[in-house]
Amino acid sequence: MGDVQHFAGPPDWLWYILAYFFLAGLSGGSYVLATLLRLRGAPGDEPMARIGYYIAFPPMVLAPILLALDLGQPLRFWHMLWNTTPGHPGVNFKYWSPMSIGSWALIVFGAVTTVSFAASLVRDGKLRLPLVTWLDNRPFNVFGSLFGLFIAGYTGVLLSVSNQPVWSDTWALGGLFLASGLAGSAALMLLLTRFRPEARPSAGMLSVSERLYALLELALIAVFALTLIAAGTQGQVFGLPWLVLWLVVLAGLIPGLYGLATERLSPNGAAALRHSLAVPLLVLAGVLALRAAVIFSIQV
Amino acid sequence: MPHITPGQAYGFFTDTSVCIGCKACEVACKQWNQLEGNAPSFLDGFDNTGRLDAENWRHVQFHDDVPDETLSEGNGKAWLLMSDVCKHCKQASCMEVCPTNAIIRTEFDSVFIQPDVCNGCRNCIAACPYDVIGASHTTGIAQKCTLCYDRLQNDMTPACAKACPTESIKFGPVEELRRTAVERLQTLHAQGVTQASLYGHDEKVYGGLNAFFLLMDKPEKYGLPDERNAVLPSRNNAGGYLTAAVTAVLGVLGGLIALRRRREKVSSEDG
Amino acid sequence: MTNHWRDIRHADLILVNGANPAEAHPVGFRWLMRAKLDRGAKIIHADPRFTRTSAVADTYVRIRTGTDVAYFGGLINYILQNRLYHDEYVRWATNAGFVVKEGYAFKDGMFNGYDQEQGVYNTKLWAYETDDEGHARIDLDHPRSVINLLRAHYQRYDPDTVARITGIPREQFLQVARQVGEMGRPDKVMTIVYAVGLTHHTTGVQLIRSGALLQLLLGNMGRPGGGMNAERGHANIQGNTDHAISWDILPGYLRIPAPGQKDIKAYLDESASVKQHPRAVNFFGENYRRYLVSLLKAWYGEAATKDNEFAFDYLPKPAANASWISIFDQALRGKMQGILLSGMTATSIGPDSNQVLQALSNLKWLCVMDPFATTSSEFWRAPGMDPAKIQTEVFMLPATHWIEKDGSFTNSGRWAQWKDQVLPPEGEARHDHWILAELFLRVRDLYETQGGKFPDPVLKMALPYRNPRKPELDEIAQEINGRDLRTGKRLSTFVDLKDDGTTSAGDWIYTGHYPEEGNLTKRRDGVQDPGRNDPTGMGFYPNWAWSWPANRRILYNRASADENGRPWDPERPGIAWENGQWAGDVPDYPPTTGPGPDAPLPFIMTGEGVGRLFSNAVADGPFPEHYEPIESPIANPLHPQVSATPVAFRYDERAGRPNRFGTPADYPYVATSYRLTEHEHYVTQNVEHLVQLQPEAFVEVPAGLAREKGIATGDRVRVSSRRGKLEVRAVVTNRLGPLNVDGRTVYQIGIPIHWGFVGINTGQHWLANALTPFVGDASARTPEYKAFLVDIEKI
Ligand SMILES: Nc1nc2c(c(=O)[nH]1)N[C@H]1C(S)=C(S)[C@@H](COP(=O)(O)OP(=O)(O)OC[C@H]3O[C@@H](n4cnc5c(=O)[nH]c(N)nc54)[C@H](O)[C@@H]3O)O[C@H]1N2
Ligand SMILES: Nc1nc2c(c(=O)[nH]1)N[C@H]1C(S)=C(S)[C@@H](COP(=O)(O)OP(=O)(O)OC[C@H]3O[C@@H](n4cnc5c(=O)[nH]c(N)nc54)[C@H](O)[C@@H]3O)O[C@H]1N2
Ligand code: SF4
Ligand code: SF4
Ligand code: SF4
Ligand code: SF4
Ligand code: SF4
Ligand SMILES: [Mo]
Repeated sequence: MGDVQHFAGPPDWLWYILAYFFLAGLSGGSYVLATLLRLRGAPGDEPMARIGYYIAFPPMVLAPILLALDLGQPLRFWHMLWNTTPGHPGVNFKYWSPMSIGSWALIVFGAVTTVSFAASLVRDGKLRLPLVTWLDNRPFNVFGSLFGLFIAGYTGVLLSVSNQPVWSDTWALGGLFLASGLAGSAALMLLLTRFRPEARPSAGMLSVSERLYALLELALIAVFALTLIAAGTQGQVFGLPWLVLWLVVLAGLIPGLYGLATERLSPNGAAALRHSLAVPLLVLAGVLALRAAVIFSIQV
Repeated sequence: MPHITPGQAYGFFTDTSVCIGCKACEVACKQWNQLEGNAPSFLDGFDNTGRLDAENWRHVQFHDDVPDETLSEGNGKAWLLMSDVCKHCKQASCMEVCPTNAIIRTEFDSVFIQPDVCNGCRNCIAACPYDVIGASHTTGIAQKCTLCYDRLQNDMTPACAKACPTESIKFGPVEELRRTAVERLQTLHAQGVTQASLYGHDEKVYGGLNAFFLLMDKPEKYGLPDERNAVLPSRNNAGGYLTAAVTAVLGVLGGLIALRRRREKVSSEDG
Repeated sequence: MTNHWRDIRHADLILVNGANPAEAHPVGFRWLMRAKLDRGAKIIHADPRFTRTSAVADTYVRIRTGTDVAYFGGLINYILQNRLYHDEYVRWATNAGFVVKEGYAFKDGMFNGYDQEQGVYNTKLWAYETDDEGHARIDLDHPRSVINLLRAHYQRYDPDTVARITGIPREQFLQVARQVGEMGRPDKVMTIVYAVGLTHHTTGVQLIRSGALLQLLLGNMGRPGGGMNAERGHANIQGNTDHAISWDILPGYLRIPAPGQKDIKAYLDESASVKQHPRAVNFFGENYRRYLVSLLKAWYGEAATKDNEFAFDYLPKPAANASWISIFDQALRGKMQGILLSGMTATSIGPDSNQVLQALSNLKWLCVMDPFATTSSEFWRAPGMDPAKIQTEVFMLPATHWIEKDGSFTNSGRWAQWKDQVLPPEGEARHDHWILAELFLRVRDLYETQGGKFPDPVLKMALPYRNPRKPELDEIAQEINGRDLRTGKRLSTFVDLKDDGTTSAGDWIYTGHYPEEGNLTKRRDGVQDPGRNDPTGMGFYPNWAWSWPANRRILYNRASADENGRPWDPERPGIAWENGQWAGDVPDYPPTTGPGPDAPLPFIMTGEGVGRLFSNAVADGPFPEHYEPIESPIANPLHPQVSATPVAFRYDERAGRPNRFGTPADYPYVATSYRLTEHEHYVTQNVEHLVQLQPEAFVEVPAGLAREKGIATGDRVRVSSRRGKLEVRAVVTNRLGPLNVDGRTVYQIGIPIHWGFVGINTGQHWLANALTPFVGDASARTPEYKAFLVDIEKI
């Protein structure tokens, strides 16, 4: 089988998009982890869950701004939602276009994270708005988590639904971005326990999930690489200088994989917190590097 | 030519075997569409345009395969000259992904980006398998050949075809062009020009290209994916979402396992 | 062109030599493509470079620049040896059987009659044996018959010799020869298309003549799809020549009088051809006087009378050559006060631009009439010039661009087509003819007030315009057409011109383009309705614009039919004798005179009545002979002692300056210069879209040579000749390649001409002509832009 031929040109999705992909992964991932903690954890996990809901919100404020700024016509960002074709007014919704569904998902998830964020504030006694706590119930969090999973992962699908070399040669990107988003979220939540000591009891859970997500991510990187080799485009994304970024990605997996190797799934919370600054930052750097490698290698 | 009538499919048959690389089409297109063009830069001497983009809606490709011989055959196959343009695909990748529905199919069956609807997200650029679309630095939107929509509406031949001195670019109803193309191919084959082939004239490539070509070498030489590689972006939706869904399930499972392990540990510590 | 653009589609074979029509004439090129697409015609392109024309030609032949005489000569030899010529045509329509006067000789590269001191041939010695009436003796089998001399002359051009000179391997040459040989059949026809790849040589005239010889032998002159077709330069360069932009002619190709010609008779004796065959019409020669007198009447009006020989005295009789290089040579010698440049940028276009810059620096004043700043109006800014050392005062007169005025263009096919003004003039720009009129009137005022040595030619000049300061082009067109001065009515044919002062015509070949019914160059009955507008179906479109002479579309078309008036190829008739008249194109023959063995001969313009295989009308030999360019990598294999033509005009040497020619030892590579589609000489350096297409000066370097020198595409290289240098980008390609010439490998380097130090990309200040030699061809003094020696190195 000959190599797949690709002649599509680069869309010049660069820094704004990288930032958005990064934030979307963290926001979605955090929301999911927070919900897991709230729904399936012990009562003592609630502080950590709130960290998650706090984290999920700001990226969703930034995301539309980043996306709008990336547009050639930022003031027309709403054209994503509403068709302005003369004579054909109506809602724009194309289920086969990830960007189209993504726009709607972003709206919904933005609202969800806003509510959960506000509810966390209320519950933490920082705000008085009883309505939101009423809204932010368990079914709501489950519903929100589904969107969280979507937001963290669809960005990869969006890249794949194209005719770009690398991006469209694989079906692993959505999963890969999601896994790395979850890993990154776990790391970020761990990091933020520094500012919320009462959440520390949940650290063990996050550090175990971190290990599992690192493994999942590694597996998906392997799938990603294999699909590219089948298409003959591996050189483009794994070649120099992008190899450096991949080293960072792998470095970001080390804490999780190392933990897995040494401590298996033992939820040693204290150990997780011992390196609580450097390790999570390394993981987050890996999350960023992964997206950067995938986005930039085929465009510049 | 008979009047250009809405409701009929129009397009181009670009016959590269008679192209002389004069770039009249490139310039005519810029003139009519008031495109400024990019800043001058030297690329390889004959092609200093480089590619189709927001400022170049026609681009003449040059591929120099001239043998080092004192006597050689021209006939369009040693120095490949080809005027590239939007293919106005029947199944258009750009149109498929466009989130704003800015890309529409006109009454002439051409693929048209509505300049006041497009918001410049550039999704179509990543999708177009022919590297046709570019984002304009001045207007901020995606731009490409309009098949001279404004001219067609006024019963005028597109500027590029009008300017082409050798009729390498033939404009007309697609049905008619297809017949012309098949005849031309037969003539060339009869003359022993066996490597001539048609590209995009039938439904094998994106359901048929309204702007199709007679080529003197393999499609990929000109940056055109062959039949097997002519695929739509949406093909990756299912696989992409499925992997993501599996990952999501695994991710949630992972979270649950972590919670359970922690609970076990807490309970063992308690016990 | 003997034929016209649209007619090329009737050819079976198209030889393109010394032209790159796909790039220099892309719109006209459609007709070459039509021939190929509609009738399966073949195109053979011989060029030093594989160009965009070669890209769509059937066969590309790599030829060493400056050697087409050997190529055509080889074809002529092949056709003579194999008796492939069109025998009937050759006997009837050429001077094959004319017997050449004793004394004719060609030996060791020299024809008889060379004057060592003057460096010229006495062309009068190349004549026919004549009887008492001045008629030539005709005997095909005579050892000195033209055809026998021709055979002897060209038998040296066997395929091996052709290969040694041109670099085209023997077998490949024969492959072409076989195809060309087919074209002597009456049902086949070939056209030769050429341009400045043939003219820009010290052998330019001979290069073209060798093509014409080939066409006469094949019986292709005068036929649709045939002919010798010069693709002209600027949109109106044909009109320029017709109206005497060349210094050596008056309008309508009347010769410029020479010193010593005291009256019209003396002038005619030297200029008009004489009848050399009882059946020759000798139309031009017979009517020369009418055209001259009508011209004088147009110019001097009432002041031109029978008594003063129609003011023949007023015409200048230049003693010195005033061709392009000669003007700048005079400036170099310090003999030129000032120069007025209109629509031409001397600095860029002339050979050896460093010398031209010096010439401009020697002037007292320079006046440039142009819509744009040019390399001439800014010449002191040329890199390396020291303005402090230049005394020249420079005036810039903003002229309107042709797009800002109406008037006609005459295309290569001699069609004069009127155009309208597209844009109003910008700023203070004035039409050229208004500037010149103003200038003239002011000079006339000076003569009137201050007198002068010979004021009459200036004072008595007729200016029959409504406003002599602002003549309209429409008025000028009428003046050119001419009138019957007794009735005041405009004439509709030059046949009505008289030599008694009762008619006027500013250019006799244009008489009839603006008759009483109106300006025929505005006619546009074309492809909107081919059935009606092209009744013969041969693409003549008689009511589309107007072509000279007499709206004839194919010159010499009498030769498209045989002696009995039947077209050689009924599928492609030019004219045919039907029902007591000539049908088809406007006949190049007395319209009501029938055909037959006693009828006038077909080529009505020549004194012989036939086409000339042997001719004394050119300065460098009655038969074309291959000479090497002035700068050549080898000595002429045919006659190494006389390698280059002995009659080329070496300006530096003649002026007592050292010659600026290089040797192959110092400059081992052959170079040629040419155009690219994307630019029109220098003026398009002002056009954004075109500068984008071709932003930077470059040279084309053969891949083999580039490997030797470590040069890659995009690298900067220095190309130098004995006269100057360029430092530009390299484009490495197989489209140019090595040739095996006389046992040696010769590389050719290609140099596009379009850059200078004005325009959008001013950093591109390199002038291609810094490299070219200051030498002119014998007849026309055309510079040798197309063959010179250079060296190249990577920088
Ligand atoms: N785009 C464009 N078109 C133009 C012009 C322009 O500047 N730009 N200028 C116009 C003018 S004024 C003119 S005069 C015409 C000129 O039209 P052309 O004569 O077609 O133009 P050139 O490119 O100068 O030369 C033609 C070819 O001659 C080749 N050649 C050089 N030496 C020889 C030789 O010895 N033998 C043979 N067989 N070939 C040789 C060159 O490689 C070149 O490809 O073009 C007109 N058209
Ligand atoms: N080495 C080399 N040198 C060459 C050649 C080559 O092949 N090789 N080719 C030669 C040939 S064939 C030619 S024709 C010359 C071309 O040389 P030029 O004729 O000097 O070149 P253009 O750039 O066409 O210059 C025309 C000028 O006329 C101006 N112009 C346009 N319209 C009008 C008008 O209506 N009125 C006035 N007053 N000006 C106007 C333009 O602005 C421009 O500056 O170059 C010659 N030089
Ligand atoms: S060629 Fe590209 S831009 Fe044109 S219709 Fe097809 S996919 Fe769209
Ligand atoms: S850039 Fe414009 S045309 Fe392209 S996908 Fe986005 S909105 Fe549609
Ligand atoms: S059809 Fe019109 S817009 Fe499209 S390339 Fe041709 S000239 Fe340009
Ligand atoms: S105008 Fe025609 S011949 Fe010229 S480059 Fe374009 S397609 Fe080719
Ligand atoms: S520039 Fe004008 S004259 Fe020259 S080929 Fe183009 S249309 Fe014809
Ligand atoms: Mo010219």
